[in-house]
Amino acid sequence: MVIIGENIHILSKAVSDAINNRDKAFIQELAKKQAEAGVDYIDLNIGPARKNPDVMAWLVEVVQEVVDLPLSLDSTNPKAVEEGLKVAKRRALINSASGKSESKEQMMPLAVKYDAEIIISVLNDQGIPADAEARAESILDAVSYANELGIENERIWVDPIIMPVSVDQKAVREALEFMKMLQDLLPGVKSTVGLSNVSNGTPKELRGILNRTYMVMLELCGCYSAIADAFDEELMALARGQMPEIKDLIRRVMEGEDIDPNGLPPKERDYVKTAKVLWGDVLYSHTWLEL
Amino acid sequence: MAEWKPPVEAYKGRIVEVTIGRGPRAVKVGGENVFAFNQGFDEGQWPNPPRVAIELWDTEPKGWAKGILDFYGDAVKDPIAWAKKASEELKPDLIFLYLISTDPNEEDRSPEKAKDLVRAAYEAANGVPFIVYCPGNEAKDPEVLKAVAEALKGENLLLGPALKEDYEPIAQAAKEYEHCVSAQAPMDINLQKELDVKISRIIPRERIVLDPLAPCVGVGLEYGFSIFERQKHAAISFGDEMMQMPMIANFSLEVWKTKEAKENEKMGIMWEEMTAMTYALAGANILVIRHPLTYRKVKELLDKCKM
Repeated sequence: MVIIGENIHILSKAVSDAINNRDKAFIQELAKKQAEAGVDYIDLNIGPARKNPDVMAWLVEVVQEVVDLPLSLDSTNPKAVEEGLKVAKRRALINSASGKSESKEQMMPLAVKYDAEIIISVLNDQGIPADAEARAESILDAVSYANELGIENERIWVDPIIMPVSVDQKAVREALEFMKMLQDLLPGVKSTVGLSNVSNGTPKELRGILNRTYMVMLELCGCYSAIADAFDEELMALARGQMPEIKDLIRRVMEGEDIDPNGLPPKERDYVKTAKVLWGDVLYSHTWLEL
Repeated sequence: MAEWKPPVEAYKGRIVEVTIGRGPRAVKVGGENVFAFNQGFDEGQWPNPPRVAIELWDTEPKGWAKGILDFYGDAVKDPIAWAKKASEELKPDLIFLYLISTDPNEEDRSPEKAKDLVRAAYEAANGVPFIVYCPGNEAKDPEVLKAVAEALKGENLLLGPALKEDYEPIAQAAKEYEHCVSAQAPMDINLQKELDVKISRIIPRERIVLDPLAPCVGVGLEYGFSIFERQKHAAISFGDEMMQMPMIANFSLEVWKTKEAKENEKMGIMWEEMTAMTYALAGANILVIRHPLTYRKVKELLDKCKM
């Protein structure tokens, strides 16, 4: 699984302060640590950056000084993304475009102009599609638009949009079903997800197991990459194919095998319980691991 | 030729049967392993049709519909006489006594006074089982409900609401003094389950009723319907043990707050009746009703649905 490190994120207070104060050392340290943790890309999330789109250029240059990884330029503001593209040394990943008219018109052309890779989400002018079929319909439209601009499938990373399991458990399964059909719909496209969103709203100490289990499930459904917490060591190990016995247990849950989690050692037990919740077999509550 | 048999769809789960009250008037709720009104088919049983509770207050109500006040006459001025009158005139399955006067924003009546009143009303009601609800004040409710629980030890009342903030002392009191507890979550199936898990560590499932909140026609009935239905599905179709408790639909307060019900009593009765039958269809096991005429209409309809 290709991992895009999510830790340079404007919603983090420390990151936000470092960006505002142009604290080069802090950002570089965070980038280096993620590289050491083994990520494949580094995400640079600056939010909408309406007042200062040029901050992306600063961030790209600062990070490039210390790591040699490709960067994911994460902003809803096309101006900010373009500032980053202008100075990126390696082929960058635009994070992200969608089927919204505005995004088609302003974000997608940047991938052509700068020969970049681009994430395209299933979001459209109507919002987030409800089920796998509606996601498929939306992405076919957005990708064919991108193709017409000259962006080939191999440069496109499809994002199904992950919903928090505590908000919409059904959508968690729908995203997996969508992922399974993606290669038939759009041969050659890559895919990615904002993984941590699945555990948004869940008590902090319980988020890791949800993220990790869901990542494995996504991978089993053919997902190419995830934007994820680089500092979750177990997650990075799973992404590198370690702990095959955990992956196997999760696969068996997805195949419909009725595994009794309480007969397993603690770690295996927790992964099986979590997989059952994410697969939709067991109704979610914050107490799912205690049952 | 082999005889053709229609296929039978069997479900995974069964709602636990909860008993409220004591003696000959005690009522059983829940116990079904099919969806509401599906008792005529082979796939399971629906042993207890929804039970209906009549709503009374612990103080003289202001601004209630004329028909309700006329029905009870002077009895509404005294909750004890009111309980007696309601039990004699309506012979209700249950009495829902709302302790609004304990609310610190209202009369702030003491737990001591509240429990004396509940005991007297209960003794006047000829053995009709009681549901006793507080206003939902997490600081005050536990004290009041504990006092009530102690005063009526072993009478198997349904006490509520137990919220995520105050379920512990309320469930403990229900356990210690042998009552049932109503677990209230704010229209969220996941939060409901979490609360169920926590309360069921204190008191067995056979003593828990779920209160997902039940908005009436015009203020989100369709959302309420969907929550009730989904919770029953989780319990029966998916066999989720932590959702397998009977549900209470407590909507009368909301019904009589609507503009329509306030302006036109006849419309209010229809409003309440429609809301009641909708929740019955969605799987509610207890319906709380204010107007005596609605009570009779809903009982009549439910009787017709028995098979």
